[in-house]
Parts: sequence; C-alpha cells; structure tokens
Amino acid sequence: MTLSRREMLKAQAAGVAALAANMSVPAEAQPVTGGVDSLQIKWSKAPCRFCGTGCGVMVGVKEGKVIATHGDMKADVNRGLNCIKGYFLSKIMYGSDRLTQPLLRKKNGVYAKDGEFTPVSWQEAFDTMATKAKETLKAKGPTALGMFGSGQWTIFEGYAATKLMRAGFRSNNLDPNARHCMASAAYAFMRTFGMDEPMGCYDDFEHADAFVLWGSNMAEMHPILWTRVTDRRLGQPHVKVAVLSTFTHRSSDLADIPIVFKPGTDLAILNYIANHIISTGRVNKEFVEKHTTFVKGATEIGYGLRPDDPREVKARKAADPGATTPSDFQAYADFVKDYTLEKVSALTGVEPGFLQQLAELYADPKRKVVSFWTMGFNQHVRGVWANQLVYNLHLLTGKISEPGNSPFSLTGQPSACGTAREVGTFAHRLPADMTVTNPEHRKHTEEIWRVPPGIIPDKPGYHAVEQDRMLKDGKLNFYWIQVNNNLQAAPNSSGETYPGYRNPENFIVVSDAYPTVTAMAADLILPAAMWVEKEGAYGNAERRTHVWHQLVNAPGQARSDLWQLMEFSKRFTTDEVWPPEILDANPNYRGKTLFDVLFRNGNVDKFPLSETSPEYENQESKDFGFYVHKGLFEEYATFGRGHGHDLGPYELYHEVRGLRWPVVDGKETLWRYREGLDPYVKPGKGVEFYGNKDGKARIIAVPYEPPAESPDGEYDLWLVTGRVLEHWHSGSMTMRVPELYKAFPGARCFMHPEDARKRGLNQGAEIRLISRRGEMRTRVETRGRNRMPPGVVFVPWFDASQLINKTTLDATDPISKQTDFKKCAVKIVPVTA
Amino acid sequence: MAKLKALFLWCWNRVLWFWRIISRPSAYLSLGFLTVGGFICGVLFWGGFNTALEVTNTEKFCISCHEMRDNVYQELTQTVHFSNRSGVRASCPDCHVPHNWTDKIARKMQASKEVWGKIFGTISTREKFLGMRLELAKHEWSRLKANDSLECRNCHSSVAMDFTKQTRRAADIHSRFLTTGEKTCIDCHKGIAHLLPDMTGVEPGWKDKPELQGKGAAWHGPEREMRAYLADLPSK
Amino acid sequence: MRARTVLGAALAACIVLVFGAAFSQEGAPVKIVPRLTGTAQPMELDRVPALGRPIVDDVKRMRNYPEQPPVIPHSIDGYQLTLNTNRCMDCHKREFTEGSGAPMISITHFQDRDGQVLSDVTPRRYFCTACHVQQTDVPPLVQNTFQDAKDIGRKR
Repeated sequence: MTLSRREMLKAQAAGVAALAANMSVPAEAQPVTGGVDSLQIKWSKAPCRFCGTGCGVMVGVKEGKVIATHGDMKADVNRGLNCIKGYFLSKIMYGSDRLTQPLLRKKNGVYAKDGEFTPVSWQEAFDTMATKAKETLKAKGPTALGMFGSGQWTIFEGYAATKLMRAGFRSNNLDPNARHCMASAAYAFMRTFGMDEPMGCYDDFEHADAFVLWGSNMAEMHPILWTRVTDRRLGQPHVKVAVLSTFTHRSSDLADIPIVFKPGTDLAILNYIANHIISTGRVNKEFVEKHTTFVKGATEIGYGLRPDDPREVKARKAADPGATTPSDFQAYADFVKDYTLEKVSALTGVEPGFLQQLAELYADPKRKVVSFWTMGFNQHVRGVWANQLVYNLHLLTGKISEPGNSPFSLTGQPSACGTAREVGTFAHRLPADMTVTNPEHRKHTEEIWRVPPGIIPDKPGYHAVEQDRMLKDGKLNFYWIQVNNNLQAAPNSSGETYPGYRNPENFIVVSDAYPTVTAMAADLILPAAMWVEKEGAYGNAERRTHVWHQLVNAPGQARSDLWQLMEFSKRFTTDEVWPPEILDANPNYRGKTLFDVLFRNGNVDKFPLSETSPEYENQESKDFGFYVHKGLFEEYATFGRGHGHDLGPYELYHEVRGLRWPVVDGKETLWRYREGLDPYVKPGKGVEFYGNKDGKARIIAVPYEPPAESPDGEYDLWLVTGRVLEHWHSGSMTMRVPELYKAFPGARCFMHPEDARKRGLNQGAEIRLISRRGEMRTRVETRGRNRMPPGVVFVPWFDASQLINKTTLDATDPISKQTDFKKCAVKIVPVTA
Repeated sequence: MAKLKALFLWCWNRVLWFWRIISRPSAYLSLGFLTVGGFICGVLFWGGFNTALEVTNTEKFCISCHEMRDNVYQELTQTVHFSNRSGVRASCPDCHVPHNWTDKIARKMQASKEVWGKIFGTISTREKFLGMRLELAKHEWSRLKANDSLECRNCHSSVAMDFTKQTRRAADIHSRFLTTGEKTCIDCHKGIAHLLPDMTGVEPGWKDKPELQGKGAAWHGPEREMRAYLADLPSK
Repeated sequence: MRARTVLGAALAACIVLVFGAAFSQEGAPVKIVPRLTGTAQPMELDRVPALGRPIVDDVKRMRNYPEQPPVIPHSIDGYQLTLNTNRCMDCHKREFTEGSGAPMISITHFQDRDGQVLSDVTPRRYFCTACHVQQTDVPPLVQNTFQDAKDIGRKR
C-alpha cells in the first residue's frame, strides 16, 4: 500500500490529536503542596567568595542549605550580573570531600611527622599544636614561629591573626598569600602617594574615554569589571581599548589597539610614552609643578633570589633596592629621552604605529584614561617600577583622581585590600598603612590593642618566599597556614616549598575546608568553615568594605579561622610567651592567657551577644559569649578613623552593599585626593596627595632592566602562568563544582602551533615541561582562548594534578618581594613512555 | 679605444650571424635537430613556467611575505583547517587559488595588483592590515559567492555530505539552504579560517527573507508542513 | 595517572565510602587520596589524561536553580566573539532565531546597568562566554552534594 504524502500527514495529525487527548496533567501544574510558603527562599546579601572585584550576590537559603545564588541588583559593583564562577557559588561548600574533623599525623597513637592522618578532637589538635609552638618558642624564640595567611581571610580573621602573631607570640613572621598577588602594587602606592590603594573607584569606568590594560586579562580574571568596560566601549563608539600582554587572549578580542610585547619590556614602553608626552609638549605643567616631585630610583637591584645566587651577588644595589634620590623634571626628561620610538619598537617587538596610538591615548589632553593592571605588572621582577611608571604617565598629564582618569590596580583576592593591606597582615605592616619598623606606629598600635609597650617586635618578619626558604633551612619551625594553598601557589615548590613542609624539624598546620595539596603536606589539618558559614567582611579593589551574616552552619566539626585563632590563644599565658622584663614592668598582665589580653581587652569584648542579629546564626559569638565581629571591627576601625582610612559604624555595613572608605559622616568617598570629592583635601588645595607629608606624589626615573631568567639554547621558551575564567586560583573550590570542572577540567600548555609542530607535538599531545627547577606533565593546546606568539607558552596553575609551580623561578621584585610568575625559561619535550 | 671598437664590431657580427640562423633556421640546421630541439625547449619552457606558477601556489610562497605570515596565516593556525581529526589540512592556495587552469591564470593576473600592494606596503603593518581587513574580506566573499563557493566544494561536496553524521541543526540547515541551492557555503561560513572584519550589517546566511520574517516559515520543515496541513483542514 | 578520570564517578564514590567509614571510627588512620591530585604523595608526577571533548549533543541541561546561566550544549569551536563580530548572536539574537531555531537570548539580557530595558541586548552582556560555558565529557573528580530547591523544603 502506498500513501500519498497528504494522507501520511493526515494520519500523523490524528495520532498527535489522540495523544493530546490522553495526556495527563503534568505534576508541576498541580497546586503547591504546603502552599506558597513552601516556595519561599530566605535571601541574604554577601560579597562573592572569589576575586577582588567584590560583586554582590544574593544567597538563597532553605533549611540550612544554600540552594541558589544570583547577582545582586542592588550591588553597585555588578548590578545583577555574576560571572560563571559567581553563578555557581551555591555549590562551592558542598564538595563531598569537605574536611569535618581535625586530622593529625600519628603513629602508634602519638603524633609522628611520618605518621598517617588520623581523626582527632579539637582538644587533641590544639594540645599538640600548643606543645609544638611552646617547644619552638623555648628552643629558638619567636622568630621560629610563623604564619601564612590570606587575602581571603575575613577582615576579622586577618585582624585577629595579626594581633595573635605580633602582640601574642611577638613574631612578625606573618605574611599573606597576597604577597604573591599585589605586594608590588601596595609598595608602589606607598612610594608614590604615601598611602595605599587606588584613588579612584569603579565609577571611573562609566566616565572614561579610553582603557589601557597593562598585563591584565580582565575578560577572564575580572569578568564583571569587563562587562562595565565592554558596556562603555560598545555603547560609546569614541571609546578606545588598548590591551598589552605577552600573548593574545580574550581581552584582546575587544582591543582597538592590540599589543603583544616581549616579556619584561613593558617598562620600556612606559618610558617611551613618558618621552612621547614630554617631547610633544603635552605635559600638564601646572599639575606637575604643584602636585609632584621627582626622584631617581636605584638600579641593578637584583631579583630577590637566595643571596648566594650569582645574579644577586652581581647586583650592585641588591642590599637597598628601594633607595631613591631627589631629582627634577629636566633630569627626568633627559632620562626618558633614551626611550625613542625606534629603540622601544625594536626592543619590545611592537609595531611603531601601535606604540604611537597607545602613547596618544595618554598624551591627548581631551581623552580620559583608565589604566588597569593585575598580575602582569605585579608578578614582575620590576613590579614596583612598572606600577610607578604608569603613575608617572597619569601624573605627567594630571589624569588622576577625577572621574574617568584613573590608574587602577586590580586585585585578585576578595579581601586583598580589606584584609591583607588595610588590616596589615604583611610581615612589615600594621593596620592603616603603618609599619612595624616605625616606633611611633608600634606605640600607637600597642595603645589601641591595650598591650604593654615594647611588645610588638621592630624587625619585619619573613615574607612569603623567604618563609619557604627558612622552613627548608630549618629556621622557621612552627608554621600555620590558613585559607590558602601555598604548596600549589608558591614558586619553585618542589625545590623550596615542599622540602620545608616535610622538614622533620618543622610542625606544619593547615586550616582548610578541603584536602588541598598543601593540607596533604601538613602535619595537622584543621577543618575550616568557609564563606557564608561564618559572619565576615571583605574589602575589594575599590576600597569597598562589604559585610555579610552567617547564613548556614559549617559541616561536622569545621570551625571558622577566626574561632581557631581565638580558641588557640587560650592555650598560652603571657608568662609563657612574653619576656619577663616586660611583665615585670606591667605586672597586671601576668597570669593571663593571650585570649584575655588580646580579645578580652575591653575593646573586642565590648559588645554583648544580644547585639548580634536575631535572624542569623553567629557561631563564634555564641562560643565566646560576646559579639566578636563587632568588637574586632570597632577596635580595628579606631586605627583609621581620622586618618583617611575611616570606616563607618559596624551596623551600617550589614545594611548596605559595602561602602568605600574613607567613610566620613556616613558618606563614602569615591575619588580621593581631589577637593570637593575627598573630605580630607584641605580647601583651596585642588589636589592634595596627603599621604605624603608635602602633599605631592612622586614621579620616578627607573630604566628597563631584563628579567631574572630568559630563554636560551637549552631552555628555549618563556613560561607564563596564570588563571582561567572558570577556575579560581588553586581550584580548591571551583574544581569541586561539577559544571565548572567540566567547563575546564584540567590544565594544559597553550603554545604556538608552529612551536608545537617544530617539536613534533600534536594538538592534545602529552608533554613534559621542564625548567632548571623541576618538571611537570601536561598536554598541548594550540588553539582556544589563549593565542601564543612563537616562543612563549602559558600554563594555568589551578590544577592540583599538574603543578606548574614546580617549574617556576622563585625570583621576586626585590622591593616588594612579590614573585614573578610570568617569566622564566623552560623546555618542552614529548612524553615518550 | 681601438680595442673597444673592435670588440663592439665583433659583437655586432655575432648578432647578425645569430639572426641569420634564427630567421631561416632550416637553411642551417637539420629538420630533425629543429624538431627535437624545439620540443625539448618547449618542454623546458612550459615546465619552467608551470613550475614557477606552481611555486607561487604553495603556502610556503604565500607566507614568505610577512604580511601573509604575520596576519592571515597566524589566524589560520588556530582553525580546523590547520589541524583537525584526520590531519587533512587546507593550505592558502586550496581556498584562494582556483584549481582549473583558466581561472587560475585569471586569478594570477589579478594577483599583479597584490604585487603592487607588496611594493607600496599597503598592508605592511598589522595596523594597516586591520584597517584593510573589511575590504580584503569582501573581495574573497564576493569571489566565492560568484563562483558558488567553488574552492570550498573542491573538498566539501554537498552531495557527499552524510546528514546523519552531522549535528541535527547542521543537517537541517544544509538541507534547507545548501542542497536546494538557495545559499552557497560562504553565505553562512564566513570567518572559518581567519578572523572577521567588522561585521556590522553583514547578516548571517540563514536570516529569512524580509517577506518571510515572523511567519515561522523557515524552521522545522516537516512540522511546519504538518501545522500548515492542520490549519488547512476545514473546521468542523 | 588520574586513573579516576577513566574509572570515573564510580571510583570516586567508593573512595567517599571508604573515607566516610574511616572517619566514623575515631582514632583509626585515614588514607586520603585527594581526588583532585590523584596521587597519594603531594608532589608526585603523574600521567595526564587526554583533554576532554566538548559535549555537542544539542540537548538542553537542567539548571541547578533558575538563576543559573544555561550551559552551551553545542560546538562553539572557532566561533568568533570579538569587537568585530559575535557569532553567538548570529543565531540567538531575536531577529535570527526564526531562521536558526536557537533559543532567544533571555529578556534579562536587555537590561542596562540601571535596569532599563533596551531594544536589543545590552553591550555589557556582549561577551557570552563569561557566563555560558561548554561542558566536556569527563566525569567530575569530586561529587557535589548540593541539593536544589526540589530536594529541599518542598514536601510533597
């Protein structure tokens, strides 16, 4: 039988109709069992857990679990948007291998360095820890005690840590992982303006006519800020975007001026632009005269390697890399004259035309420019210089401290500014930009903390890379790591970091939510509460302090880092840790625990439990019997109030989506240093860089100097490391979110297709990536988001099974001590076995 | 001076001698020699010409100019036409030089313009290249549009496409537009081997004709037909 | 090497059980093989599994919650997303959906920073891949115990 096409259709139609008649009503269309109340979600605000952008998110909680998150429409930073990571925040706390119990390495029932991880009670964990700390203190003194913290610590945690370490244990060996992240930016701010952190804010984006990215792949690393740049660029056709990098990436996709330069030569480009501004007569003379002074920086300052490294021995000024001498405009102009277009084009490999276009963005007095940078500048053996050289451009043209004209240092961690910098958890810093080397600053701090004078040691402690070296050398023996994964993050990890952790002389404690590589290399693992499992506060890249409530409980016995720090302090009495002469002079401190003197000091315990919100849980406050967070915050805020770092009253922060300091009379400050916008600028001054006593910013003359290690005949490729959009830092959270994992399941080596073919490597082939330090295995990627120029490869560091930092060089900027993760030499060979 | 004059005279005599031979070769040389010699010369000349022509038809030749190497070739290396599952790859001339002889020669003559471009540095920098990209792309689009995407079809025969091996969406679109001849490859597949210029105003090939927009006409062939049929049924 | 990638979720689940069981007995040592590293010793070198392949089956995936950006179920290999062109829009833009059969971009994407609804997608949403990603065909190394609104609080 044959059916005509028409008949066939008729038959099909009948079938469809019959099916429709019998179709049951789908379950979802039934009335809501339990009424609409059962659909209610409790929404609360919080900042995102990931990068330094500081997006606001709304967190939906039901029956003690986070069930959804979305971008907060009321948050100024992101106005309802999140990036892919932010949209999956709901899942970061629910990886099935959360740590829920302290784990101690034991053999035959007692602690042993080579023992197996064994679940223990908090009691036993802290007892063992305290014993080890006391042994170390007794044998070697406070300098053998150290702590490695984080720009992901809440403000309270960082503040409690700095008190415990400096005033409790009397050790300045406290450094945050932010040292790897933006130490160069922080030093450059201090050296240029006498005060840390950006003068502008994200509102600059909507006012700018040009954006210049200096070593920042915002499209992947700060996607929400990128939406604001994109909005401006595509919405206002006159706006231009310049992207400078050592390879082509997703940010380059929006570039009007795409620039790929040879690694390290950005310094020369910056000096060329200064030269261009001066030689074409576009210096803002009035601004320069009134608001700047000139200095010349020391050169040949080394690479922050171990002192016996030949490169350090050769460096003339390695001992005092930060030295400067006064100079003047003419000397500066003569200095940059050397950086001609031809010379810089040849050195950098960038076409003269692009360099000129770029220089014109700065030189053109009618164009408002925002410069952005992140790790391309900061993770640079001359990172402080690079930061300062870009300030030079903004200062020469007066394009600073006003809407749309802004040199803007972006941060990688949610509280790099709020905790690491503002609280002062660096080895040399105290709260509110003060330093341990300044006797006045120490005295002021001791007064606020209500501890006896002379308690805070005056010598800066070991910085991040030095801590690893000291652990390896056996000089640092008790080490507590919180909220970071340094064995994955630190440079030259197999050569310098891991040996220190496993050095039998040392006791390593790691507080984390998940079994990271760092935790697995520790002797004691403490399970930590994370993100909205505790009340917290973060400070983002635009000086915005953002507070959140505890929304859910941590699983099992996991406790916040704050609780761990405070609880641990109960194990020590002043008699055990403070010198007798200080106690003799201040006998009323005798016989007290560190908890008593640091946290029951009349400030921190000032606010009763009743002041906590009845709507939200607050684990630590319940445990300690007072509103811990408010007490810590208010004591900490006294440092900055009246000094240009003013924070508002604590309660206010629970209501708003963050405030940008200085908060004066309840009002935040968007642009600092300009009259009318910043209440700290004296009337009639116009612009005042009040961080420096003379009210002026510094323009510095420093040259191009080559990187610590460049490719040669054997190690013939540049290695650049970094991140990808889908994973954040070491991936300990994002790799446990299935959607994020599946979006980018493993690291890989991005390389130029011809570099691959020359070595006989297929796309996707397995390779060994080898440096003078170590080797790792990965796979070749010649396509995709990162398009490498010949001779340069990129490997992200998020993958715990492919530790690229085994190969990186532990060279740092000698001024900021921040590692250069962007430049070392490697070779690549196929995996044959 | 006298020596020079002697040399000049000698040369002139040689030329005259040569002219005498080639103006009437058979008077001096045997026919056999002429035939064989002519043939050999012909082979040499033709071979030389073709070889030279073929050299200009290789990727190596194309990317011996930095303009091609630094711009379009770099972009090609990121695409499926450079590396893929089977390792069969397209080189520059596969897509940009016609395969049949007359078209090829025509294209080569056109290429003389490119020689001028090279001499005058029309796209000697990336900056200039980016400025010219739209114009250059338009040339190639219109060439491929005019020859019904001939260079694509040298490898991708539409009749040889197995729709069951394509994603459903691709198979649908191909059966609607490609096999019907409504569209040609380049209408939809722009920028497959190189980055695209500013595409403002260049619409995708599958956009319906203005008169069909909003009618739901284009998509879901069989379903649409069925819906149309149901609508046609006399309502009871 | 990361053999678990091959053995997949089943193996991971086994480890969870072993891990969990060990935890329940206080005092007994636990053997943790962190599933992200795949090796028992932190710095060991290991074979690297082949790069995952994108899932291109064109099947929509359920979202974990309505606010989640849908993942991309089709190939985007070679799709250009630049200042010059946006390949995603070629199909998902309102005007082209009829010809392409693709879902139209969500109405939320028409709102500018101030919540004003525009006549076309707002430029701040231009780079689609900041939120929408492909998925590869590899099983997750670590299971996630997240429960969605259907599992929590809606008693049936």
